[in-house]
Parts: sequence; structure tokens; C-alpha cells
Amino acid sequence: MAPARDLRPTPTDGYPTATSFLQQDIEDTLLAHLPQCLASPDPTATQNVPAVLQRNNHMQYLLRNLRQGFPQRYTGQDASQAWLMYWILQAFSCLGVGMDGETKRRAREKLLAMQNESGGFGGGPGQASHLLATYAAVSALAVVGEPGPGGGWDDIDRKKMYDFFMSVKQPDGSFLVCHHGEVDVRGLYCLLAVATLLNLLTQELLEGVPEFIASCQTYEGGFGNASFPDWAFSNGYDPTTPRPVLGEAHGGYTFCALASWLFLQPYIRIRYQSTAAGISAGVNHVPPTINVRTLLRWLTNMQGTGIELGGFKGRTNKLVDGCYSWWVGGCFSLVDGLLGGASTATREPSNETATHAGNPPASTEDSEWHDIDDAIFNREALQEYILFAGQHPAGGLRDKPPKHPDSYHTLYCLAGLSAAQHRVVPDHSRRDDLLRSWNADTARGTAVVTASAGEQERLDNLRQESFLDALCWLEDEGADKFVGGSANRVNATQPLFNLTVTHTELIMAHFYQQRLPSRLPKTTSKSS
Amino acid sequence: MSAESEDVPLYAERPEWSDVVPVPQYQGVDALAPINYSAEYQDATDYFRGIIRMGETSPRVLKLTRDIINMNPAHYSAWQYRYKTLIAIGADLTEELRQMDDFALTNMKTYQVWHHRRLLLTALRSRDAAAGELAFTARVLAADAKNYHTWSYRQWLLAHFNDEERLWAGERAWVEDLLEKDVRNNSAWHHRFFVVWSSGVREGDEDREAVGRRELAFAKEKIALAPNNPSAWNYLRGVLEHTKTPLSALTTFVQLYTVSSPSIAPEVMDLDNPVPTEGAQLPCVNALEFQADIYEQEGGTQITKAVEIWKSLANEYDTMRKKYWEYRIKEGLQTTHT
Repeated sequence: MAPARDLRPTPTDGYPTATSFLQQDIEDTLLAHLPQCLASPDPTATQNVPAVLQRNNHMQYLLRNLRQGFPQRYTGQDASQAWLMYWILQAFSCLGVGMDGETKRRAREKLLAMQNESGGFGGGPGQASHLLATYAAVSALAVVGEPGPGGGWDDIDRKKMYDFFMSVKQPDGSFLVCHHGEVDVRGLYCLLAVATLLNLLTQELLEGVPEFIASCQTYEGGFGNASFPDWAFSNGYDPTTPRPVLGEAHGGYTFCALASWLFLQPYIRIRYQSTAAGISAGVNHVPPTINVRTLLRWLTNMQGTGIELGGFKGRTNKLVDGCYSWWVGGCFSLVDGLLGGASTATREPSNETATHAGNPPASTEDSEWHDIDDAIFNREALQEYILFAGQHPAGGLRDKPPKHPDSYHTLYCLAGLSAAQHRVVPDHSRRDDLLRSWNADTARGTAVVTASAGEQERLDNLRQESFLDALCWLEDEGADKFVGGSANRVNATQPLFNLTVTHTELIMAHFYQQRLPSRLPKTTSKSS
Repeated sequence: MSAESEDVPLYAERPEWSDVVPVPQYQGVDALAPINYSAEYQDATDYFRGIIRMGETSPRVLKLTRDIINMNPAHYSAWQYRYKTLIAIGADLTEELRQMDDFALTNMKTYQVWHHRRLLLTALRSRDAAAGELAFTARVLAADAKNYHTWSYRQWLLAHFNDEERLWAGERAWVEDLLEKDVRNNSAWHHRFFVVWSSGVREGDEDREAVGRRELAFAKEKIALAPNNPSAWNYLRGVLEHTKTPLSALTTFVQLYTVSSPSIAPEVMDLDNPVPTEGAQLPCVNALEFQADIYEQEGGTQITKAVEIWKSLANEYDTMRKKYWEYRIKEGLQTTHT
């Protein structure tokens, strides 16, 4: 019999402040959204809980956005048109909604109109190129595009895009989001995701980036939005000088920093190889580290308690919000990937550093891991938050009741639901298969940057490892969990990109010119 | 606000703009997901695209970009072009800053508002302007105490004008005052960490051991006031980690918070170990976790005690994180056995 649900309010210690007043208000609201039968102390009442994903309502909501567009009050999103497209199209992917050829064609046309001749995409047609818009447009094209004339993919000017990326690169390893724009880890994530999808990674592009990310981790364990470069970089680079993080630990920035850290693992392995071999121990050969132990602690603490229905917040002592279902909920797969994949029983014991993850450990101890655990957060509770509080009755998903839905929250609630339902983790045998069929020549042939003869091998290696690391993530179908039953199932999401595994495979196979080995669903039984 | 009032003509109707060829937004035939713009917005952005095509930087560009920004504060291209124009025509940047004050207050959630100020301050190189910005951000934070961009900007400002002790002098006292108002304001805690630990050694803070003691005392005092406050516990942990102090240094203090009613000899005033406030709801999760971490750090047979606490967190005090506590148990046992 299930233990009674813990619905105790957050303690205020008889010392209320502005924060605790807001918190109490939201707890009252959320509690009112918990179905009566679940709020009752009688644990036998938990049968037949009406937890239904209102698929059709959400689909209609998204379709209205796509076909009829947005009212005038959305003018504030005029510079986010690429995002609006991505949020809608990827939400369709989550819901398993297919599109007809004509809709896809119109979507491609709309997206390509945002590409600039000087490289990269703007937030709308005629707007300056921006890293965030570039990610949104390329990701949306991954959903609706295809190879060949008119297919969208070959209309992306990758050489110019690479030049745009290099033109916003800063000496401290960060990137401006656009010319004269700000630096933050969102832009960095967007750049790395796109560069990985489109086969644009080079050593030159990534130099200094791991150090920048490491400098953005806060004492709480999560990441802030940027760090201050000028002290350490006033006269060349002085690694002993502080690079203070600007801004507190935050769910959105933490996702971006952590996913970036994963994208960088192949580069880190190659860049710091010489240290491992004991060749040199100069300052530039010390690999930067992040603190995975405090990160994991912070991530788990972002999950609200029972009275908050298990939703996620984005910062300590802030309110839960449906979008963090993905930004924080999506981080747990990434941590798994960093620690060597779910199929590793021997996780790093001290957890202090993790620079060498991704070099997959032997997979002989599968069973031990699966006996213990499936995820470090409460997957059921997160699904409940999304189903009970995240859904707007008229369709679309939202931050929290009684707010209105929007495209942004609709996608990130659905993606969070996906992260809570499925487990997508690096799979070693898939990685081996991909490696066996890897063709370095065709991958090099379609790359836009060529290396000098001496650098060729390192660049080939980076391209290959990035491809394998990105595409070895598979859904462990034996680990599915559906609150409210499998009718609530949404599609699995690739944790690094927030695209489906299939879309990720198709677009990467194209831009690396690889023939992918067929993929059999992974089904690991719980017992060994 | 001009573009919003009825009697202001569109750019297309103004003779002084007749030399500009407006460029409509092309988004394909029969575009998907269109935004239903107002006539004023469409008009202004058509002329903006026209100006970009001409590459013009002139005072009227400032007016045009201001109109667009008023209607859409997130139009980063308009901000970008405005900044380029300000620099190109040698505009009075202090005046620009002042003009944007009210705008920043009403649009404080917009990235561009804060980034624009950062660009202006970088170009101005003026410590008076920086002092003004500290006052301004303090005003904004008085209205919205957790505004991420404002905090981030204030930290950048202090770091950028690092050598101005005058700017830094009142910072710790100021943020302490904010914590006085709301001890649960995590942004303020983070700012304190930035000021004390992340940005070098300030005048008067040269004795780092003393600073460490002062900060631990501060965090403990705030925990006593409201024990179930993760912000204060996180700060405490941050200080210990930063100063490489073992967790066990706080054993006596933490134990006061791991029991439901601590037995305290009323005649003894232990300043190092402030007692929980009267209304405290104990034991508190953060204290139990801390106690378990002490045991784990001590290792050996102490691990059994840590496991006991983790079990109580998993099954009673913090059931939402059951999986995490089980993970800690597994990790703790594995570490001891190897």
C-alpha cells in the first residue's frame, strides 16, 4: 500500500518574509489542483486517478498558433519568430503529430527567410544573426527539413554560419549572442548544438570553451549565466586570477551549461590527452573541471515538495514553473551521460570531477545498476505536476495555474513530461555500432573547415567522437513510466538537443554523410 | 510613447522620411505562425529595415529605434543598431542612460535593457556613471528583489570598476540590509558570496581567516532565525567549501537543528552556536543532510550513522527526494567498502 501523500506546507519557522508569503500562496493554488482523491489521507483512494494528457486540446492549441498565428500582444516575440516555429514544431514531435508536405514546405520557407547572407539566422526576416535564433531555426529545420533541392537542409549556408560563430567568439572562450550582444551560456549551448548537428566543430571554435563553462558554476552547484572575463584575460590568460560568475544558480543556464559540457567531452578528451600521457603538465594542459556532486545536489533540490506537486523551480527559494520540467528535469539524463551512462554500476566514487566521462567504461556491470535505481529525481511526481497543474483546460501548457498557456511553456512542459516518462541514455553497443560504420572520408568531405596536414588527424578525431557521443543516446524502453497510463505517452526526446532521436539521426547522418546502422529498440529488463 | 498615440503620423506619411525606401518583412507566401502586428509597428519596422539597407547612422535613427523598442523591448536588432548609431554620431551617452531609466524600470525583465546599459558604461569609462548605476539598480531591486538581469548587471558593474574601492565600500552592508528584509532572497545570498569570496580581496578583508569566521557566524545567525531556509544553508556550505574547512567544524551548531526540541541550557549564551528561533520547525532537512555529510566525511564506522539519517530523509522528512537519498546511501556504502 502506498504511503500517505506528504502535503505539508513549506515550513516558515514563524518568521514569514516576502518569499514565504509568495510560496504559501502558490501552495494553496497548487493544492487545489490536486484531485480530491489524491489529497485524501486514505491511501486506497489512489486508484483510478484521472490523470489525462489532453492531447487533442494541446494539438488544437498548437495548430491555431501555426495556422492562424498570434494576436498583437505577441509583438514582443517578433524577435523570437524562429523560436515560435521551433516550439510549435517540436511540441508536435512530442505529441507524435505528423505534418503534411505542404505545411512542412511553408515552415521551411518561413525559417529560411530568417537566414542572413552574412551567415546565421535572425529572430525574424531582416533581423541580425543571433545564436539563439540560429539554434531555433536549425532545430526547427531538423523537424521539417530533408536533403536535396527545396528540402531546407542544403539551403543552410554552413560555411558562412561558421564564420558568424567565429566572429562572435571572445578571448575567454565565451560567445556574444550577436554582434554588440551579451555573453551567456544560452548562446553557447545554442552554438554547440548547431555546430554538432551541422558538422561545424573545430578545435579553433572550441578553444577555451570548457574553461569558460567551468567558471560559470556557482557555490550552490548550479550554473549562472556568464562569468567576468577581464581580470583573467587582461594580459594574455592568467588562470590563477578569479573569473567570478555573474548571477546565481539558475535552471535554464544550468541546462545550457551542462549540455554544453557534454558536447565538449570529445574536445576535452583530445585537447588534454597529452596530460594523461604524462607528456606535459603546463597550465594549459590542466583540464578544467566542474563539481558534479554539488550540481547533482542542487538539481535534486529544485524539485518542489508534495504540496508543490513535484514540479521544478529554477532557483533556490523561487516558485515552481512548468518550463523547468525540461530545463532541470532534462538535466538528470545529462548527468547520467556524464557519469558514464546508465549502464555503469561503478559510478565515480568521489564525484568531485568529471572531465573524462564519455570515454565509456566497460558495460559488464549493467545489471547491478538497474537493480538499484532508474533515475535520481521523482519521475512520477513531475508527471503529476504537468498533468494536474501544467495543462490549461482550453489547451496548451503553462507555467502554473492560473496563468495562460504559451508556445514556450507548451513545448517545455511536454519535453519535461517526456524526460519524466522515458529514460534516454548513452548506449555503449550503439556507440560501437556507429563506430564500426563510421566513414571518416565522407565526414571530412562534407565539413566546411579544412585542417592543415598536421592537424588533420585531430580534427577527424574530434568530428568522429562528437558524432558518436551525440548519436549513441537511446531510449531504454524497459524503463518507461507513464502516470495515468500509456495513453499519456509522449515521444522520447534526445536529451542534448530536445529533438526526437530520429530527427537527430537524420540530420546528422546527412551533414556527416554517414550511413547509420539500423537501430533496434533497447529493452533492458529490470531483473538481471 | 509617440508611436502609440493616435495623432502621430506613420513614418510612411512623414515627409522627412520620404527618402527612405521601406522594406516589408518577407516571410514567404502565406506564412505560417504570423504575428498580427499593429500598423504602427509594421510601419516602423519597415523603415528600420530600410535604414539598415542604407546603413544610415543619424539622430533620426535614434528616434526610429526608440519607437520600435517602445513597442517591442526585445527587438535586439533595433538595440544593436541604436548602439552603433550612438557611437557613430558621438551622442551624449550619459543622456542616453538617463533617458532609459524609466524604460528599464518598466521593462526590467528584458535582456536588452540591461545589456544596453552595460555597453554604455563600458564606453563611458566614468566612475560617477558607475556610482549612479549602483543607485539605479538598487532602486530596481527594491521593486523586484530577485530580478536576474539586474543582479547580473550589478555584479558586472562592480567587477568592471574593480579598482574603485569607493564603489565597493558599502556593498556588503547594502546586501546585508536586503537579507534583513528577506532572509530567503537567494539572489542576495549569491551577491554576498560574489562580494566576499568570488571577486578578490577587498580593503579591510585581508585577514581571510577572520573573514571566514565572520561569514560562518553570519550564516549561522540567519539559520537560527529561520532554520528551514536552503539559501542560508547553501551559503554556509559554499563558505566551507571555499575555505576548505571540514564540515565537522560545525557539528555542535548543526546538532541543535537535527532534533525536534533541542535541550538548551538557558543560562549559557554560546555565540558560536546560536539556538533556533522559538517558532522553528525542527528537525530541518538541511540540518539532517548536513549531519549525514559530516558522518560521511568522517568515514569509517560513522557511515552507518549517515545511512540512518539518509533513510529518515528518504522515508520521512524529505520523501520527494527519496531516490536521491537512496543514491547517497549506495554511494556512501560503496566509498567505504573501497
